[in-house]
Amino acid sequence: MFDKEKLFLIIQREYLVRLRSKMFIVTTILAPVIMILLLVLPTLVMVLSSDHERRYAIYDETDIIARQMTESDSLSYRVSESDPAELREQLQTGQIEGYILIPHEVLDGQGKAAFYHDGSAGMTTTSKIRSDIRQQVRSVRLDRLDTSDEILAVINERVSVDNFTVTKAGEEADTGASAIVGLIMGFIIYGAMFGYGTIILRSVMEEKSTRVVEVIASAVKPFELLMGKVIGVAMLGLTQFLIWAVSGAVLMMAAGPLIAMFAGGGVDTAEAAEAAAITIPTIGPMVWVSFVLFFLLGFLIYSSLYAAVGSAIEQESDSQQLQVPIIMLIVIPIIFVMNVADNPTSTVAVVLSMIPFFSPILMPVRMSVISVPFWQIGGTILLMVLTFIVLIWLSSRIYRTGILMYGKKASFGELWKWMRQT
Amino acid sequence: MINTIVEFENVTKQYGDQKAVDDVSFQVKEGRIFGLLGPNGAGKTTSIRMLTHILVPDSGSIRLYGERVGAATQRKIGYLPEERGLYKKMKVGEQLIYLCRLRGLSKEAARKSITYWLDRFEATEWIGKEVDELSKGMQQKVQFIATVAHDPQCLIFDEPFSGLDPINSELLKEVILELRSAGKTIFFATHRMEQVEQLCDDIALFNKGKLVLNGNLSDIRASYGKNSIRLRFSGDNKFLDSLENVRINNRSVHFAEIRLLNGADDQAILREAQKHTRVEGFELIEPGLQEIFIDTISKEKTSDV
Repeated sequence: MFDKEKLFLIIQREYLVRLRSKMFIVTTILAPVIMILLLVLPTLVMVLSSDHERRYAIYDETDIIARQMTESDSLSYRVSESDPAELREQLQTGQIEGYILIPHEVLDGQGKAAFYHDGSAGMTTTSKIRSDIRQQVRSVRLDRLDTSDEILAVINERVSVDNFTVTKAGEEADTGASAIVGLIMGFIIYGAMFGYGTIILRSVMEEKSTRVVEVIASAVKPFELLMGKVIGVAMLGLTQFLIWAVSGAVLMMAAGPLIAMFAGGGVDTAEAAEAAAITIPTIGPMVWVSFVLFFLLGFLIYSSLYAAVGSAIEQESDSQQLQVPIIMLIVIPIIFVMNVADNPTSTVAVVLSMIPFFSPILMPVRMSVISVPFWQIGGTILLMVLTFIVLIWLSSRIYRTGILMYGKKASFGELWKWMRQT
Repeated sequence: MINTIVEFENVTKQYGDQKAVDDVSFQVKEGRIFGLLGPNGAGKTTSIRMLTHILVPDSGSIRLYGERVGAATQRKIGYLPEERGLYKKMKVGEQLIYLCRLRGLSKEAARKSITYWLDRFEATEWIGKEVDELSKGMQQKVQFIATVAHDPQCLIFDEPFSGLDPINSELLKEVILELRSAGKTIFFATHRMEQVEQLCDDIALFNKGKLVLNGNLSDIRASYGKNSIRLRFSGDNKFLDSLENVRINNRSVHFAEIRLLNGADDQAILREAQKHTRVEGFELIEPGLQEIFIDTISKEKTSDV
C-alpha cells in the first residue's frame, strides 16, 4: 500500500525541518518555564505581598469577638474606633476598603453579622471572614457554657482520610494525590491536541498555498504525503514530551531551593521552601504509558481532521469556520473533566471517557484516580484506532482534492462533495 | 521506427457538470517537443495532471512508454507545474536532494546531478541558501533543476517561460533544446504562440476540453497555404481599416500581417497599399500559429451554432 522508502523520506523531512525550526526550540524552552512560573508564582506573590494585605475595621457590639479576631489575625482585622455611620462615610469616600458589623445578638444564636465593602472583596475574602466570625462566635459561646477542654478538643479535631485503591489482584496503591497528576496530564493533552493539530493544519495549508504540493503529488501518493506528515509531527510531539519530562524533573527538584533564593532573607527560607515544594505523587508506570498512548491516538484522530481543514484553505484566516467543530470536540471533555475526576466510576464518566474524541483527555484522568477495568481501556483503544482509520480515510479523500483546488474558500458542503468524489 | 511515448486514448475528465477534458486522443513520439496549446481553461493543465497521475481520468486510458500511468510511470517524468512552488524555509541543496530522492534517486546520485545542474545554471553558490532568500527568477531556476535533476525520459513543462526575464528565457530555451538533442521527449503546455513556433515539432490544440487540432506543426501550416500577406510600409496606416475580407494580425505603425479571407485578392491589397503609402516589403506567407489558432477556434464556434 505504501512505498516505504518514500514514506520514510517524507517522515524524515517533516520531522527534521520542524525539529530545527525556531518555533520548536522556543516552545520547548518556554512551556516548562511558564509551567514553573505558574506553580511558583502564587507562593511568590503571597510571600512578597503579605504586608499589603487589607485590614477590615470591625464595629463590634459584643466587644469580645472583634478582639479575638484581631488577636488571631492582625493582618486582616482591626477593632474600629468609629461608629457605623462614620465607617460608612469612610467607605464611601474611599478611606477604607470595607468594615464588619457584629451585633450582640450573634452570641444568643440570633442576628447576623454584616460585611460592607467597596466591591473589591472576592469570594476568598468573604468566605474567610465568614469562617473567622463563625469560629470566634462558636468559641465564645462554648466558653460561656463552660465546655470542658476535652469536648473542645473533640470539636476541633480533624480526621484525616487516606485514599487507597485495591485492585482485584489485591494490590493497593495510594491514589489520593494522583488526581492532580491526571488533571495535569489531561490539560497537557488538551493543549497538545490544539498545538500539534495547528502544526498539521499549517503545514498542509502552506504546501498548498506555496503550490509545492503539486510537485510532490507528481512523485508520491497524496495519502503517503499525508501519512508521512502525521507520523513526522507525532514523532516531533514525542520528542518534545521527552525533553520536557527530563528537564521538568530536573527543574522541579530545583524549584524549592530556587524559591528560597528568590524570597531572600526576610522570610524563613525553610518555610518558603516547604511552601514551594512540589512533590510528584508516586503513580504507576501504567499511567505514564497510557498518557503517551492516549496522546498519540488522540493526536492521530485530531490531526486527520486538521489535515482535511488545511487542505481546504489557502490562508489561516479562512480556517475559522471549518475549525469550529474540531475545537468543540476538544473543548467538551474539558467541561466534564472535574466531574469525571470526582466520579470516575459513574456511568457518565465511563461513557464519556470511551468516546474516541474525548478519550485522550478523560481516560488518563480516570486512570490516574482509579484503576480502570481492562475492558474499558482495551475497548477505548480499539475504538480510537477504528476512528482514526475511518477519519484518515475520509480526510485523505478531502485532502487529495482539496490540495489542488485554488481560488475559493471551501464550505462544509464542498468538503462533503470532495469526500464523495471518486 | 519512432516510438510512441505518450498515448491518450478517449480520455475524459469531468468536474461536476463541466467536462474539463472531453474524449481526447493523441500521441507523442519519442524525442520530439510536443506543444499543448489552448486558451486558459481549455483543459491543458487537467490533461497534464492526468499524465502525471495527480488526477485520474473518469474514462479512457493514458499510457506512458506503453504502461498505464501510475506510481511506476511517475518516476520516468519530470514535471514543472504552471504554479511554481518550493518549500520556502528549506535550503536549496537539501530541497533538491529531497525531491530527487522522492523520485527514486540515491543520495549520492542526487547530489552529483544537482551539482551538475546548479553549475549549468550558474547557481552553485545558492546551495546553502533558503528558497525564501532567492529572487523570483532564481527560484524559477531552482524549480527547473528540481524538474530535470533526476534525469527523467519525459519532461512536462507547464508555461515554463512565465515570469522569466529575456536572458533567462534564452538560457532555458537553450537547455530545452539540449534536452531534446539528448533524446528526451518534451511535453510543453502554453498559450504563448511565438514560443511554440520556435520550439515545437508537433502540436495539439485544445478548446473547451476538446482536441480541435493535432499534428506536425509545419504540415499544419503548409495545409493552410500561403494565404497571408506580410506588409511593411511607411506612411499613414489608416487604409488598413478600409480593407474588406481580411483579418489583420500583429499590426503596428509600419507593419501588418494580413490574412486573406473569402478569396480576397492579394494584388488588390498591394495596389491599395501603394495608393496610400510607400510599400517597403510585400510577401505571401503561411499563416502564423496565432492565426491558425484563431481560425480553428472561430470555426469551432460556428459549427457549435
